[in-house]
Amino acid sequence: MNKAYSFIRARESFMKAIFIFCAVFSVFALLSICAFLFISAFPFFAKTGVFQFLFGTKWDITSATPSYGILPMIIASLYVTALSTVIGVTIGLLTAVSLYKFCNKKIVNNIKQLINLLAGIPSVIYGLFGLIIVVPFLRDNVSSNGVGYGILAASIVLSIMILPTVVSVSYDALCAVPSSYFEGSLALGATNEQAVFKVMVPAAKSGILAGVVLAIGRAIGETMAVIMVIGGSPVMPKGIFQSVRTLTANIAMGATELTGEAVNALIATGVVLFVFTLILNISFSLLKNRGEEKNAKRKT
Amino acid sequence: MKKIIVFVSIIALVLSFASCGSKSSGFDTSKNISVTAREDGSGTKSAYMELIGLKGKADPANVVIQTGTAAVLAEVKNNPSAIAYESLGYITDDVKSVSVNGVAANADNIKNGTYKLSRPLSVVYKDSNVKSGLNKAFLAFLGSKDAQSIISDNKYVSIYDTAPEYTIDSTLSGSIDVSGSTSLQPLMIKLAAEYEKLQPNVKVTVSGGGSGTGYKNAENGTSAFGMISAVFDKTNAPSCVSYTVAKDGIAVIVNKQNTISNITVDQLKAIYNKDAGKDAITTWSQLIK
Repeated sequence: MNKAYSFIRARESFMKAIFIFCAVFSVFALLSICAFLFISAFPFFAKTGVFQFLFGTKWDITSATPSYGILPMIIASLYVTALSTVIGVTIGLLTAVSLYKFCNKKIVNNIKQLINLLAGIPSVIYGLFGLIIVVPFLRDNVSSNGVGYGILAASIVLSIMILPTVVSVSYDALCAVPSSYFEGSLALGATNEQAVFKVMVPAAKSGILAGVVLAIGRAIGETMAVIMVIGGSPVMPKGIFQSVRTLTANIAMGATELTGEAVNALIATGVVLFVFTLILNISFSLLKNRGEEKNAKRKT
Repeated sequence: MKKIIVFVSIIALVLSFASCGSKSSGFDTSKNISVTAREDGSGTKSAYMELIGLKGKADPANVVIQTGTAAVLAEVKNNPSAIAYESLGYITDDVKSVSVNGVAANADNIKNGTYKLSRPLSVVYKDSNVKSGLNKAFLAFLGSKDAQSIISDNKYVSIYDTAPEYTIDSTLSGSIDVSGSTSLQPLMIKLAAEYEKLQPNVKVTVSGGGSGTGYKNAENGTSAFGMISAVFDKTNAPSCVSYTVAKDGIAVIVNKQNTISNITVDQLKAIYNKDAGKDAITTWSQLIK
């Protein structure tokens, strides 16, 4: 073997090692975050009790006998996520439909780019917008009890934040439906609207659903924008104009200032949130796979 | 036809946004008090709750939590029915500071002790320990002009008007241990850093633990100085004396439209107590007659 050859071999295996390292890095990051969460939360769960933690309704960490119950936060998170998804998906799906069929073709791309720009705005800006525009507006004009903070304010802000996800995924799903579906239904006497809403949208259903799940994942995990408009009182939600606290807000509000057992309670809150998002992500990939199989079948 | 509909809906959108900007003048006392508080773990919060007699209590259910001084000020500035508390040094002209028990919140009233929402931040030490050498020099530094400017720069109230300049003693070396109150700890860390700059051979270690730890460590000699954030109580450390480093004051703030000018500690307690029951104060009309 000559020298040059063995040098090339060495270089090749060195580069290979770098590539493998890069490939493994993200997996390693995921595993270490999981390990951190579960290892630090385990002693807390063992001490407080998982049931007590998940279904306790009292969160009082400053008293001499602290109680850690995150049920109010879980409920608030679910309410906020559900409401923002309903608002965001309604607006987003209709936007996607209009871009797909009803909008002037010259401006479709411009509008799509503008909507995608929404995705690039930092969440703290959404929070500021909510704090300065949405909350005072709700407080002065809509709310019956003079409170602007709460589930509705957070849902409005979040629904704007999830729009780009819903619009672009639904638009792509609609575009993936063969155009013969549309032409065929027109040929059978359907109007434009009937063809889109009764044929195209149902055909793109699994793609749209995947977008919805992705949007839910974003809504449940959003922290900064929510913390600024949700109020932050750890009480059971009774209405949409009431200061409440979501899981993410609960973690962020205490993360920098709390010490000792309270920090472990926050990490445990993180575990609950992590499990929620994990379930959402798994269902997203399941839906996506199903959609791709369907489209592949259609083309054959 | 289509164009007209589009045009009208755009105008409607613009108008609805514009209406956000219009504000009615005059203060409506029938509004509920929007109780604003800091997050758990905030030093300002624990000091305030302690001063109004609700030490360690959770917030009332309707509380709006703001993380950080700036967020509290912004909320009070924008929400006509808000009430909040914040360290005196951070209060700006955007909000209105309310007198407590008839005494205005300012540095003079904190210095002379008439303002209620204020407390001394002190160090406790054994007198025999501080007769000479390093500890004596550090105590002199705490009372010096250098220290006073750090105290006021960090929004605490300096209580010594004519403080002498600190004289650097280049022969000093060694280490000083300070521990105790987490309310004084952030300020003490800044003071210690400045002292280490003036006396490069001296190391000052500052640790927390709470006022109880401060008393205990000073009494048993673990630390040269213990930090406490309340009036010195001799029974906690019989062989020690105390020296007040600075005072901190907490102002009660409301929106500028609000017509209230004075509030009592008992009223604050009735607003911030989650267990106040029928004594709870929830609307401004209960305070403004």
